[in-house]
Amino acid sequence: MSGYGVEERAGPHSPEYRLFFKDGAGRYISPFHDIPMYADAGKNVFNMVVEVPRWTNAKMEISTKEPLNPIKQDVKKGKLRFVANVFPHKGYIWNYGAIPQTWEDPSHKDENTGCCGDNDPIDVCEIGSKVCSRGEVIQVKVLGTLALIDEGETDWKVIAINVEDPEAASYNDIEDVRRMKPGYLEATVDWFRRYKVPDGKPENQFAFNGEFKGKDFALDVIKGTHEHWKALITKKTDGGEINCTNLTVSESPFCCSQDCAKATVDAAPPCKAASPIPPEVDKWFYYQKN
Amino acid sequence: MRVPPGLSRLLLAARGWGRLGAMSRYSTEQRGRPNSPDYRLYFKNADGKYISPFHDIPLFAGPKEDKEIPAKRSKTTGSEVLFNMVVEMPRWTNAKMEIATEEPLNPIKHDTKKGKLRYVANIFPHKGYIWNYGALPQTWEDPNHTDNLTGCCGDNDPIDVCEIGSKVRSFGEIVQVKVLGVLGLIDEGETDWKIIAISADDPEAQKIHDIDDVKKHKPGYLEATIDWFQLYKVPDGKPENHFAFNGEFKNKDFAVEIVKSTHEHWKALLHKKVDGGAIKCTNILVSGSPFCCSEEDARSIVQSAPAFMNGDPVSPEVDSWYFFPK
Repeated sequence: MSGYGVEERAGPHSPEYRLFFKDGAGRYISPFHDIPMYADAGKNVFNMVVEVPRWTNAKMEISTKEPLNPIKQDVKKGKLRFVANVFPHKGYIWNYGAIPQTWEDPSHKDENTGCCGDNDPIDVCEIGSKVCSRGEVIQVKVLGTLALIDEGETDWKVIAINVEDPEAASYNDIEDVRRMKPGYLEATVDWFRRYKVPDGKPENQFAFNGEFKGKDFALDVIKGTHEHWKALITKKTDGGEINCTNLTVSESPFCCSQDCAKATVDAAPPCKAASPIPPEVDKWFYYQKN
Repeated sequence: MRVPPGLSRLLLAARGWGRLGAMSRYSTEQRGRPNSPDYRLYFKNADGKYISPFHDIPLFAGPKEDKEIPAKRSKTTGSEVLFNMVVEMPRWTNAKMEIATEEPLNPIKHDTKKGKLRYVANIFPHKGYIWNYGALPQTWEDPNHTDNLTGCCGDNDPIDVCEIGSKVRSFGEIVQVKVLGVLGLIDEGETDWKIIAISADDPEAQKIHDIDDVKKHKPGYLEATIDWFQLYKVPDGKPENHFAFNGEFKNKDFAVEIVKSTHEHWKALLHKKVDGGAIKCTNILVSGSPFCCSEEDARSIVQSAPAFMNGDPVSPEVDSWYFFPK
């Protein structure tokens, strides 16, 4: 159990919705900056913040530009964003989220992809059997990574499994996923290639021809993004609009007090019931795979 | 606690979704606790009388309805015949809900096997049921009758429908559908026709009239349907299923003939020309049926069911995804 908690403000599926994070003592924290990247560095076990539970569509993400970086629903062209169901898939096909204390620096061109970072923490696709909750902080074993180039930006997708999954002990590298969940990796490439086509965007591309890299490679990629984050949080790199307010990174000039954090949360509207999801979100998009 | 999508749809049913659609003449009443063996969904017609969704909802929608039931205003697409469909499982849910053929007034209940509530497995890449799934009322696949096409006896249930429209329907909803084709599933050795249909008010209904239109507008959907029915019981330890005609989908005309023949079997059942065994033929609207009962009797059947209460959360095992070797 991670000991972290959440506090909802406004209602889910509204533009005002925010999910703030608290530590085990009930103090407000940033899920981007104050949750350690490692749950157990010696065993390469990482913390993961779940943004989108498997099989849901609401595109929820850590808001990197707001103080305390609560989770909120992405908005595009003034509308709340729901990811399309690209047949045969329903919503996201893994628990999807981010590794805290990582950052894909947009001013840094990745030597593997040739593209600049997407300005976000590194993304994780968690493949265990449990459907996690939004805002849950889980511990994961990294198994590999896919090098997505999403609308021209480097957007690594780490493949990982919840350490509490009943079969976690059998998963140690990307080959184990191929062997024990045949079709899942192919479906993952298919999903990322096509998921924005219903919104009128082109198919995405990948580095390495869409091939998954293994655990060791993935660990190096994550460590690289952790270094970028350290530079960001200590103001060695200019983060632009990224909000680096944090409670626990003592060497950071952006470190603030719990009173200040509390004021941020108190300014948000009170918790409300969820708004219904528009029925168009249930549409299934079909088109021939190339 | 995460609210399973099925539960939000049950809540919709509890509020009487009859208010949602101008054309909806039916409403439902929940009894017992969702996700428990005592849960029941009873049906009422526009007059508020309790009815059986198996026997008292006309098979044919629109102008071809039986005279006993007031004509329903319905959208027809040209001269296409429309059927009523009772939705048992909304798309992407797992709870195996079905019309209780052996209980009076045939409410929808949660199927149990070996004493456990049944949830259909998620067969990768699929999540739950991949269509809105349900039944055509006033039809019956007679177990005493060997189907000359499949060589098997009927499965003792109304005929099943897979509704392929874009909207996820609500549990217990009555939808007017166009029949497009049929798959001849042989499920554990019994004939189990799967009608492929689309809601008459689907945005694409004007373009989809027959099984080939499904192939054209929803590529991969029919293949996925075969894949699903072939494998869906394997996680429960059952063997793969088989199909008549090598798994080929038959077209609309063929499907409509199958529906009509199961309607004839149902008529024989309701008029006691065949022995239905444990099937409960209690109805309030089928005139001439020896099983017709009064409104009062129907009301006391429903009132003897336990009061509606909030249900327990669903066990997380329901979310497991089953992968098969390639």
